[in-house]
Amino acid sequence: MTTQKPLELILARNLMSALSTPAFLVDEGGVLVFYNEAAGMLLGKRFEELGTVGAEEWGALFGPFDESGAPIPYDELPLVVAVRNGRPAHADFEISSVDGSRHQVEVSAFPILTAHGSQGAIAVFWPAGSSNGAGHR
Amino acid sequence: MKVKLWGTRGSIPSPGPETIRYGGNTSCVGVTLSDGSLLALDAGTGIRSLGLALAAEPARLHILLTHLHLDHIQGLVFFAPAFQPQTEIVIWGPASPEASLRDRIARYISAPLSPVEVRELPCDVSFRHCPQSEWEIGPARIRAASVAHRGPTLGYRIDDGDASLAYIPDHEPALGADLDALEEEWISGLGLARDASMLIHDGQYADSEYPDHIGWGHSSLAHALSFARRANAERTVLFHHDPMHSDERLDQLAREADQRWVAMGGYSGGIELAQECGEYDLAAKTSNAIAAS
Repeated sequence: MTTQKPLELILARNLMSALSTPAFLVDEGGVLVFYNEAAGMLLGKRFEELGTVGAEEWGALFGPFDESGAPIPYDELPLVVAVRNGRPAHADFEISSVDGSRHQVEVSAFPILTAHGSQGAIAVFWPAGSSNGAGHR
Repeated sequence: MKVKLWGTRGSIPSPGPETIRYGGNTSCVGVTLSDGSLLALDAGTGIRSLGLALAAEPARLHILLTHLHLDHIQGLVFFAPAFQPQTEIVIWGPASPEASLRDRIARYISAPLSPVEVRELPCDVSFRHCPQSEWEIGPARIRAASVAHRGPTLGYRIDDGDASLAYIPDHEPALGADLDALEEEWISGLGLARDASMLIHDGQYADSEYPDHIGWGHSSLAHALSFARRANAERTVLFHHDPMHSDERLDQLAREADQRWVAMGGYSGGIELAQECGEYDLAAKTSNAIAAS
């Protein structure tokens, strides 16, 4: 029997698919269930190549680094804060692509709260210096 | 499980000589379970005729509302059993963070829109939010899931023995989505419809009409066919006809749907357009419509 994802995640994915802003989607358990083409360009790997990534694992995909170059703990990532605490979170940090290139980004994450509680969270990445979140390459 | 279509029209009642065969009443489907229990799926104006057919019988019945748009609840205050003290009616529907199901329905069943208030209904009526998990009514297992439409909206699946009915009358699963490419779990409503004996699904617009109605919460013929192919239901009945579609226009769409369905690998007759008072006796699933990818 097929069980559909929560509708709010389906609609979020559909919206994200149409955006040129890099965006990531996790479910209520923190599993990375989707990121869009713009995010794939930023990371250097399309979601279709990667598939879902478990909680605690996806942070290492882009190894967020703080301003001193130290890795940012998984628990402190905005997307994790949003899905765990049900509150929006924002941070600036540097990420690395598959090819090793580094990108400075601003990240805003917000929870997906529904009548049935939290269903996950969305994070939007804004390349530093970008006015509209697009054109990060 | 026996199914009767009491109202097949979407949006607004559309009576008249040009809609006699497909009908002008809005959404209502009667379902008689294997033990004789009765369900009404939605309470559009079609439920008035259902009520008249039941009026002589004291009854306990369940009304499963997909959502609270007027074309799905307008018949409630004209449903004869609601005015019989011996009748027990349980109304199920979607939860909303805004207000209870009873309070939201009471906005319609109250002045100035209605001459009666909910509290004045002589029947024993109760309101329940559909649970997220499966539940039972008589011999049937019921599942509800949120589906893509405007506002909190559910689709239903009813399994009774080997027969199963999926009912998703207002649905725009293709909004921002490629129904032919997405994984099943990412398609709104597909889990309800998968391998059902019968799927009743939104088919409001011709393909040429859809571009002017993107985001209105309904499907084009192409989207309905794609969804049906993925669902692999034994029979699909397209429902919620546009009020502007005459019998003649719906005949054209029915022929087009059948031709396209056959071209997709289905069997002729596997897709049809809902006609008011159409009746179906759902037996165990015997064959697949199209092997879904």
